[in-house]
Amino acid sequence: MTSGLAGRGVGVAGASTPPPAVDDVLDVRGLRTEFVGKEGTVSAVRNVSFTVRRAEKVAVVGESGCGKSALALSILGLIEPPGRVVGGEIWLNGRDISRFSERELRAVRGNEISLVFQDPMSALDPVKTIGAQIVEAIQRHQPNLGRRGAQGLALSLLREVEVPNAERRLNDYPHQYSGGMRQRVMIAIALANEPDLLIADEPTTALDVTTQAQVLDLLEKLVSDRGAAVVLITHNLGIVAEFCDRVQVMYAGRFVERAGVEDVFRRPTHPYTEALLRSVPRPDRLELGPLPSIPGSPPNLAHLPAGCTFEPRCPLGHGREICATVPPPPIQVGNPARVVAECHFARERWEAGEAS
Amino acid sequence: MRHGMPRLIAGRTLSSLSAIFGASLISFIFLRLVPGNPARLFLGQFASQDAVDKLVEQMGLKDPIYVQYYKYMWGFLRGDWGFSYTTGQPVTTQLGHRLPATIELGLYAFLFAFVGAVALAVIATYRRRPVVDGSVRAMSFFGLGTPPFWFGLVLLVVFSERLHLFPGPDGRLSIDSTQPPSITGLYTVDALVTGNFATFADALWHIVLPAIALGLAPLAFLVRLLRANLLDVSREPFIVVVRSKGIGRFSAFARHALPNAFLPTLTAAGLILGQLLAGSVLVEKVFNWPGAGALVTDGILRQDYAVVQAFILLSAVVYVVVNLVVDILYGVIDPRVRVVTAVA
Amino acid sequence: MSEATFVDRSPERLRIGGRLAAAARYVVRDRELLIATILLGILVLLALFGPLVWTENPNGIDVGAALQSPSLAHPMGTDGNGRDIFARFNEGARISLAVGALVVLASALVGGTIGLVAGLWRGLTDSLLMRALDAILAFPPLILAMAVTVGLGVGLKTAALGTMLACVPYFARLLRSDVLRLRALPYVEAAVALGATRKRIVLRHIFPHTASTMLIQSAAVFGYAILTLAALGFVGLGAQIPTPEWGAMITDGLQYALTGQWWVALFPGLGLLAAVVAANIYADRARDILDPRGEFARV
Repeated sequence: MTSGLAGRGVGVAGASTPPPAVDDVLDVRGLRTEFVGKEGTVSAVRNVSFTVRRAEKVAVVGESGCGKSALALSILGLIEPPGRVVGGEIWLNGRDISRFSERELRAVRGNEISLVFQDPMSALDPVKTIGAQIVEAIQRHQPNLGRRGAQGLALSLLREVEVPNAERRLNDYPHQYSGGMRQRVMIAIALANEPDLLIADEPTTALDVTTQAQVLDLLEKLVSDRGAAVVLITHNLGIVAEFCDRVQVMYAGRFVERAGVEDVFRRPTHPYTEALLRSVPRPDRLELGPLPSIPGSPPNLAHLPAGCTFEPRCPLGHGREICATVPPPPIQVGNPARVVAECHFARERWEAGEAS
Repeated sequence: MRHGMPRLIAGRTLSSLSAIFGASLISFIFLRLVPGNPARLFLGQFASQDAVDKLVEQMGLKDPIYVQYYKYMWGFLRGDWGFSYTTGQPVTTQLGHRLPATIELGLYAFLFAFVGAVALAVIATYRRRPVVDGSVRAMSFFGLGTPPFWFGLVLLVVFSERLHLFPGPDGRLSIDSTQPPSITGLYTVDALVTGNFATFADALWHIVLPAIALGLAPLAFLVRLLRANLLDVSREPFIVVVRSKGIGRFSAFARHALPNAFLPTLTAAGLILGQLLAGSVLVEKVFNWPGAGALVTDGILRQDYAVVQAFILLSAVVYVVVNLVVDILYGVIDPRVRVVTAVA
Repeated sequence: MSEATFVDRSPERLRIGGRLAAAARYVVRDRELLIATILLGILVLLALFGPLVWTENPNGIDVGAALQSPSLAHPMGTDGNGRDIFARFNEGARISLAVGALVVLASALVGGTIGLVAGLWRGLTDSLLMRALDAILAFPPLILAMAVTVGLGVGLKTAALGTMLACVPYFARLLRSDVLRLRALPYVEAAVALGATRKRIVLRHIFPHTASTMLIQSAAVFGYAILTLAALGFVGLGAQIPTPEWGAMITDGLQYALTGQWWVALFPGLGLLAAVVAANIYADRARDILDPRGEFARV
């Protein structure tokens, strides 16, 4: 399922843009987040814009350190010093939460947006029961349920995430759960208040492959039952193909490609996307020789190059003057426009792709 | 799932008993090494040799060493801790009279240390202001490095002698205060319970400076520990998860970070007790506090070692027992320790 | 890694003098460490050169000059017997620092050996040694030292012995756990498989790695040893008057403190404070530099 990009402002920061469309759950415009460190200021999120429609599943793909987690935390306002969100708008259900006070944000977190974290082992309070931790999330936003109601809801949630023996398990402690079980609990907590948007930061990275599949299936079912939108942050392209509608590829704090899942996999426009896809080992296409990897290493976010951030490692643009000196603007390709890529040669590549 | 518990308790109890046994051996060895003839010391230098010899026989000092040990330990367990050389009174009576004073002082010192440590650690870690954090750290360095006896003296000079805010080293009560009826032996408690507010205030007023002097080192120790634990816990992912539920910063700190930080701090309780025990010996002398510690220091001065010996062995027993209780308690409170295997 | 690595942030061309200069730069940058070094430095200087430069007799009784407040002639005043406190302070510095260091060294050696033997031989030897250590640890350390001095006779020597005995278990446990951890490492197993003798294993494979943890522990124990010795002096079980040991000096000053002659008891206490605070700061930094795991004495 691809999405059309017609009629949406594509991330020009600061310009007076039309208000977000009604069926957009999330509309991020020009988000900028910085961390002040010993080596200088690190721009983790550099002028990022994207939208998520109701019940849509969007992937944010990238390597470690590209700013994915910072993006998630920035949206929720959970960036702590030495980090700071320094600019942009975050429109959630028609309200700009980037202007919200901490108090107002607290009403939103866990309620309209939820977060699922990546490390289930350390994501739960070790000295509180699972039940208590789910109830905490419920009571925060649904105090009208009262204690009994909240506990009842916690039980049904635990059942929904397919934890066996749910009734007894409510009184267990996190260390009595396995990794996969804990992740299910995390999902239960995240969905407790029927959020409109769920941000899942590498939800299955810490799990083994079989459990990964189970958890993902579960997530898919629950999310579609509730009509919640999902932003899935991952570096695992396999999951993306199965689960998501749209893909946004992140590199050095920006989205270098935004496209529907079919387009991303069939005809990647940005060279980085292509390189990522090529580096995934595929059992159905056995090639002899070393596994292709992307040469070089991700840029130091404290000292970014003047031109395209991918240029040093780009098979296409390395050494080219325009790539080294001018940061590529987001370019829409396709007719009707359906892919946005930040590459000077986006059009050429797209047209070349048409042939394949 | 709780089958780890009895094993844990049994194991620890066993090692505690062996530790006490070993400690009693050490205590006994050093007791017997005391130069001079205990009988002679007891009877004084003018007693006749015959009398001394008779007492030696009576005290069992001619028995083989293991028999002596056995009698010593058996007596100790039954409450016979020997007789003070100088006063002739049984050591148990003397210690018994003095113990409540030491316990009261220890309790207030602990209260001071605990409340102070929590307050300081929370202040230092909650808002992460480097100046505040730095000064709390500096305080803890000073607290650990200050000799408690000297500090007590400094407190007295500054707050009592110069500023006249607190009483001088005249013990637990002013001369014109009436002693409260002996219910617990703790003057503040007894006075409060019997409605004698004047005495309560007086007793409290007297205990402030010595409690601070005694509690300084435990305070410093606890602050360091708690602060380190709080910092560790605050960085844990589950705190961010709690925040993502919409819980506020302070609530997350108070309801999730603090309890998790307290847990490992609990294990220091035994060490704190050790500090208080040793410290009371030092501080009571400075304040003329009529406690067991002062008894010991007096005993040392007068070479009345029966009291000192009893105190030493008693401290060891109490120390071991408290550590045992703390370990078991930790097992009860921390759900992770109980289970032998995790259930998937 | 058995050597400390000092993080040197100065640009390449300014790197003079190699490691020592790098260390000096590191110390200057760290304010707490700087203070500690200054304090300790002053004390060491006073201890070493004080008696040479300031030639007043620390034991020189001059009743006529008793209880004089600090002045140029007597920078720290005089005590009840007219003795110059500054001179006594310097002597006291010698005693506290030297005996403290000796105690640490001795207990590190003894404790280290015990821990090594327990860790290498295991079995019955290990159990027995651990039981013995448990017995020692059953006492609050000061109390144990008191038992030793009461039993063996009071004085600085027995106080030192008692303190040493109390510190032994901390080193023993530390080394034992290190040995146990290290011998399980694959490369040690390999060495054994290759037929290395126990001695060789100890010297070449185990020792270098335990050196850093021992160093950290030593710094922490040093401060504690000084305090304990002074405490023993205070209660009268350690150095005896007229020996100018800081703890004993405080006891001496007790009687004068509340009648206005505060200097008799103040300065020795300041000396103790300075020495122990410095030692603790060093221990703290040593932990940061040498051992990222960093745990405190109760192993």
